Amino acid sequence: MATEPKPATEDVKIDLFEDDDEFEEFEINEEWKVKEEEKEVTQQWEDDWDDDDVNDDFSLQLRKELENNTPKN
Amino acid sequence: MAYLSMGEAHRRITEYLNRFSDAVSFQDGASLKQLLSVSSNSPSLLSLADSLNVFQDANRLIKQSEKYSQFGEIIAPFFRCMQSYRTGNLLDAYHAFEKAANAFLPEFRNWESAWALEALYVVAYEIRILAERADRELAFNGKSPEKLKGAGSFLMKVFGVLAGKGPKRVGALYVTCQLFKIYFKLGTVNLCRSVIRSIETARIFDFEEFPKRDKVTYMYYTGRLEVFNENFPAADHKLSYALMHCHPHNEANIRMILKYLIPVKLSIGILPKDWLLEKYGLVEYNNVIQALKRGDLRLLREALQEHEDRFLRSGVFLVLEKLELQVYQRLLKKIYIIQKQRDPSKAHQMKLEVIVKALKWLEIDMDLDEVECIVAILIYKNLVKGYFAHKSKVVVLSKQDPFPKLNSKPVNS
Repeated sequence: MATEPKPATEDVKIDLFEDDDEFEEFEINEEWKVKEEEKEVTQQWEDDWDDDDVNDDFSLQLRKELENNTPKN
Repeated sequence: MAYLSMGEAHRRITEYLNRFSDAVSFQDGASLKQLLSVSSNSPSLLSLADSLNVFQDANRLIKQSEKYSQFGEIIAPFFRCMQSYRTGNLLDAYHAFEKAANAFLPEFRNWESAWALEALYVVAYEIRILAERADRELAFNGKSPEKLKGAGSFLMKVFGVLAGKGPKRVGALYVTCQLFKIYFKLGTVNLCRSVIRSIETARIFDFEEFPKRDKVTYMYYTGRLEVFNENFPAADHKLSYALMHCHPHNEANIRMILKYLIPVKLSIGILPKDWLLEKYGLVEYNNVIQALKRGDLRLLREALQEHEDRFLRSGVFLVLEKLELQVYQRLLKKIYIIQKQRDPSKAHQMKLEVIVKALKWLEIDMDLDEVECIVAILIYKNLVKGYFAHKSKVVVLSKQDPFPKLNSKPVNS
């Protein structure tokens, strides 16, 4: 039996109206102060991670790889 | 539904009418707000809806007194909205609510002070929520969903009423945020531009004077727009503002902010600590970060592939894809350090062949020309300082700071 062309499914249409990341409403009269101890979420960043350490597993394997192959050339 | 006598229904409807008229006479915005919160499913509104469905002829009650009938244009459609809402007919509920809202707006405009702002907020919120539900009903019945777009047009009118001078202006940002939610849902984010311009160029009103909840929401959405535009410093500023001021107990919102802020931070060379990823369940970034730290190109590609759907949906895929250059930089730096430990005098001469080998080890096949091209891009983008010695297929690295850090700036484009 020949397959009929599928009509556009509802899923697709509904999907047009999706924003997975819709911000939740705050209460209308909600005002708040962020206390010092609650600010930790803003302090969880590192900009000095790019160190010269090459003793992690990845680097050790990389070293092995580069050294192993060198004599062949 | 428990049995409701005609007399009791009559009494409840009259009670609502009195409360409505009192709220306006006493300029009691908080009460008026409750009287209009359709989707709150409050017991008093649900019982009103049941009463209306028993009594049927509420219009007669509205007309019996000038006290009520002066707001008939608002109340009569609002009653129809409650009846339809209660019986699950969301399309009719939306239409009726839109009528009520259109009658409410000129009244609000005429009230001199901003006492009814809370009630206006709830009208703005309800029209969006009802439109979404009506659209779902339309789509389910195979019809074209267009009510949310209509709600957007109504909210633009509301914005116009608020955006001028005067005490009502403080409400403009709330309506802006409702509009953002609509435009993001409909995928018409370019429509955000005109409201943003109006908010940001206003000399008469300082942004900081808006309520905190609206400022946080506004910065979240405009931050997301900056991510789409790949304007990372601006995105960093806005999303960081949202993060810093968000209600600390609203973890869902904090998580959403981070979902966009993390790729922005990564693209300016800043990494989130593990604690953050764990606490907010953003594990999809684990391997991306690991790849940056190691210089592991294969891991980056795998991580992007594994979470492709998620990253595409939130629109950060392209941002993350561009991290490749930083990962190449890191890999070259590792090779450089390893060489330096073996023979410090020759470390700044890096054979392209060595890079090819390292990539091959990562199961990435590239020939000398391709690697040369990548290194040329790294030099051009100031991720590597050095020059080529073409004949010998060597890149000669600068002796001073051969791998400049981004220092919170995006990669040169």
